[in-house]
Amino acid sequence: MATTKVRRTAPAYGSTLYDWVTTTDHKKIGILYIINSFVFFFIGGLLAIGVRTELAMPGLQFVTDQTYNEMFTMHATFMIFLFVIPMLAGFGNYVVPLQIGAPDMAFPRINAMSFWMLPLAGVLLLLGFITGGTAAAGWTSYAPLSLDRPLASTGSGQDLWIVALALIGTSSILGAINFLVTIFKMRAPGMTLFRMPIMVWTMLVTSVLVLMATPVITSALIMLFIDRNYGGSFFDPARGGDSILYQNIFWFYSHPAVYIMVLPAMGMISEILPVFSRKPLFGYKAFIFATAGIGALGFSVWAHHMFTTGAVYLPFFSVMTFLISVPTGVKMFNWIATMWRGQLVLKTPLLFAIGFLSMFLIGGLNGAFSASVPVDFALHDTYWVVAHLHYVLFGGSVFGIMGGFYYWFPKMTGKMMNETVGKAHFVLMFIGFNLTFFPMHELGLAGMPRRIADYSSTAGWNDLNLLATVGGFTIAASMLPFLWNVFLSLRSGAPAGDDPWEGNTLEWATSSPPPAYNFDRLPEIRSERPLFDLRHGRTDER
Amino acid sequence: MTTDSNVVPVEHDPLTSMPHDTHGGISNPVLGMLLFITSEVMFFGGLFAAYFSIRANTPQWPPINPETSEPFHLAILPFVGPATILLILSSVTCQFAVWAIRRDDRVGFLRSMTVTVILGIVFLAIQVTDYALLGQEGLTLSSGTYGTTYYTLTGFHGAHVLGGVIMLSVVLYRGMAGQFSARHYDAVEGASLYWHFVDVVWILLFSLLYLLPGK
Amino acid sequence: MSSSQRSGPSQTATFALAIGAALVIGTLIAIVAGSDLLKAGQAFVTGLYPPIAVTDQGAQIRDLYTIVFLISAAIFLLVEGLIIWTVVRYRRKPGDDTLPAQTHGNKIAEIVWTVVPTLIVIFLFVISWQTLNVVDTHSAEPQQRIRAVAGQFQWQFDYLSADGKTILYTQLVPTGEDGGMVVPAGRTVQLTLVSQDVIHAFYVPQFLFKRDVVPGRVNSFEFKVSDKEAGQTFRGQCAELCGVGHRIMLFEVHALTGAEFDTWLAAKVAIPNATPPPTPSGEAGPTINVTASGVKFEQTTISAPAGKHFRIEFENKDAGTPHDVAIREGSATGKEVFKGELFNGVAKKTYDVPALPAGTYAFVCTVHPTMTGTLTVQ
Repeated sequence: MATTKVRRTAPAYGSTLYDWVTTTDHKKIGILYIINSFVFFFIGGLLAIGVRTELAMPGLQFVTDQTYNEMFTMHATFMIFLFVIPMLAGFGNYVVPLQIGAPDMAFPRINAMSFWMLPLAGVLLLLGFITGGTAAAGWTSYAPLSLDRPLASTGSGQDLWIVALALIGTSSILGAINFLVTIFKMRAPGMTLFRMPIMVWTMLVTSVLVLMATPVITSALIMLFIDRNYGGSFFDPARGGDSILYQNIFWFYSHPAVYIMVLPAMGMISEILPVFSRKPLFGYKAFIFATAGIGALGFSVWAHHMFTTGAVYLPFFSVMTFLISVPTGVKMFNWIATMWRGQLVLKTPLLFAIGFLSMFLIGGLNGAFSASVPVDFALHDTYWVVAHLHYVLFGGSVFGIMGGFYYWFPKMTGKMMNETVGKAHFVLMFIGFNLTFFPMHELGLAGMPRRIADYSSTAGWNDLNLLATVGGFTIAASMLPFLWNVFLSLRSGAPAGDDPWEGNTLEWATSSPPPAYNFDRLPEIRSERPLFDLRHGRTDER
Repeated sequence: MTTDSNVVPVEHDPLTSMPHDTHGGISNPVLGMLLFITSEVMFFGGLFAAYFSIRANTPQWPPINPETSEPFHLAILPFVGPATILLILSSVTCQFAVWAIRRDDRVGFLRSMTVTVILGIVFLAIQVTDYALLGQEGLTLSSGTYGTTYYTLTGFHGAHVLGGVIMLSVVLYRGMAGQFSARHYDAVEGASLYWHFVDVVWILLFSLLYLLPGK
Repeated sequence: MSSSQRSGPSQTATFALAIGAALVIGTLIAIVAGSDLLKAGQAFVTGLYPPIAVTDQGAQIRDLYTIVFLISAAIFLLVEGLIIWTVVRYRRKPGDDTLPAQTHGNKIAEIVWTVVPTLIVIFLFVISWQTLNVVDTHSAEPQQRIRAVAGQFQWQFDYLSADGKTILYTQLVPTGEDGGMVVPAGRTVQLTLVSQDVIHAFYVPQFLFKRDVVPGRVNSFEFKVSDKEAGQTFRGQCAELCGVGHRIMLFEVHALTGAEFDTWLAAKVAIPNATPPPTPSGEAGPTINVTASGVKFEQTTISAPAGKHFRIEFENKDAGTPHDVAIREGSATGKEVFKGELFNGVAKKTYDVPALPAGTYAFVCTVHPTMTGTLTVQ
């Protein structure tokens, strides 16, 4: 094996603000995405704390009904559209070109534009708080509630919401085009499709979902805007429109959006588990087909959000919803089999990945209850659903994101994070998460509907709500060690070196942080683990 | 296992995978445009789905105009027919422009592209006239489901035509500056693909709004 | 792996210690706080089950829930156990640098864990479908037809004739002893759902059922409250976000025996023919205007003379929304001293209020607890 020292270029960071604002480097843009997403994560988190505080005890103690509706609407909007989706796009931005051995994304300037639309959209949403109220019709903004009606109390905030979401949608679509062209056209020699890391595969499938689904919600938003501002009558039954039509179009996007929010997180833990188990991913190809299967089936299950409307063909959407759990189950077993007989290096990234597995499992199983139509008649729009979606999006996506953050932080900064503080973060977050969301299953079964600002003290929901609020504050507290860890590591973290984890994929073949255009030299790519092959030689034949 | 992971084997120069590389096949900008068109198809798909859904749920289509107590009707076929023919024609001239630049025939390219842009502008002018006439007849965006769907569908198509005209004008301008040749014409190809897409959407819209019999 | 940092035993120990400490501290807090942990634990486990269903349909859904729950619990224990066991068993021992066997896959295992889950979900789908066909049916001749009309933010219940074409009686007050939806136990009730404005959802937790109330659409479903539930009251609530008053959109379902129900309905149907109460005598006070719009009273403070009966001219400007004016001693939760007739907007009614002693009163709308104002009698 002919080897040579990589020529070291000075890290491209630490330059001026101007440099960051005008950058077209996929790594800097990726980091901007991640920072921006964390900002909105904390804003969304504060709103969630507001919601939990109000619900801690019966009685309306802190906010008005209107403010409460604004809080949960904006909590979901920030968390979904300005945290999870852009955060995963940010990791994709940073990691995908590195993992396929490309110097940058295919369209660097469009990439920068995609990013800068997001803070703009965030500002528009925040503007609602100072211009007489944000959107308050839930993140679903069902018509006719989201149309301007005297009792719905939706002012200009709803219009700001529509414009902001359309902006975010455009940003996602441009990002998806960028990812697809990058992945299809800019892979290094030897990097065939079936040698791509799973993270790249999940970004590929996610981008297809974004490309096909996001324009559809843009059309719904535009129709809503026309109905609200120009006397249109798409969704207003009083004017001949159809309110169920809005739900159909909305969920045609928003169900695939669930996979947009979870597939890349699955990709992240599929990078973490093999590295920290010191084994290859079990069933690499099966995993890819499962990912593609989820993507394809994801377009045929949207109406399972509408079982109680009485306007959908129940058996079809029920059976499709059940079936989509099969590829998800395949992945779960593949992950466990990856760890099986491995040598698990129990560092923070692996802990978050294991957290993902055990929590996403619950999120999958309680989803099966809602796939069963009659059971869904009981559970729909209760706190059970709140529990389910948080087990999927927090227990799944957020644990995956945190794992990915601890995993790639050394690559992004050249510094290691503190393991002990990292573990404290994990333990607190894990306990807080379960304290918050597990009781919600029981609240839902006991009949507590979603989106109510207050409840009767005689309904029997007091203890569980208090427990959930304690959990909510625990999650908030877990952010302290996290932020402390980031601060500490940036200031005085141990140098990471190129490859602190003994990684498998190409990003670990370059310096930390990588230079502009990423690579001076690339190793030979003969499998999905080029760096493993480099260290150990080929240990097996496929 | 090597002890120094900074050491990697020299196999090839990564710069070979830069954008203008020899992977062959479709170029990055053209692939990007095709994917963008895919998303546009889904966008119009949403609008069309709304149209069909509302149409299916309405007992009579076109519905009754509350002001005249007669069904809405679009008595502007004499204008719309020629506009449709012009738009289809512009797609043809646009393709001529692409073929010309592929042959390195810059004069032919500029000529065809100019005709395309003019045809696009004429189409827009006709559409504005249509809107003015329909407005006089009392059909507006807020006159029930019929007006809402009609203006939304044609309006967004019109906006896309405008976008296409701007895109083609930029291509024309760059062409006059001599920026395209038989080796470098991705922008021409991309703009032309977009223009064809806009054309196809119009043919669908025309069939739906003007040709499909009411019920 | 000589160049990278080792996961030393101290770290793993710290980690285990942290989890252990958290558990111990949690338990201690609970004991000190005086909670009966065993009882709380029991309540927590039973809480994973829906309430006892009071309708035949709900009982079917609860049986289905049981099956789904048992299968899910089994899968949960199996897979979660597998995860924990794998993590514990295959954690890296300090100093062990051997590379584990590089297994890329196993066809048989992969086929098994694709096929078995497929069979399980198809089984779940089939039993769900069967239950659906039982609980979501429509009989041609239900024994009682009721129509629930939802509006921001209240329910009203129309009792329909056997053919469903005429309204026999409308129950305007959604909760309380005199209000709520009264249903005959042991009879099949067909409930039609109509919305006046936005989407609402009719949800009774003990029915284990809800259905959306969609404007521009008429939804319906059937239920039969079990005979043994006669005399019981069940809580119901709107389950689809409908605006600022979503949380107050409550209702109650009172189950009566068939015979009691018939008597009740006959009595209610007869009421509109009863004579109105005579106007009170004595010195007359002024006429006070009160207006309700946007589920708010436009006047939040009104005053009236003590010891004189007076009139309230009440205008309800909310189309399709019922309001009334009730006067309560002291505060909105005080003793009710007067209650005017409830009616739908847009309309006007004049209430004759009897003479009141001097003091502070609250006036409220009995349908919308958030609508309050102060009445000063002096």
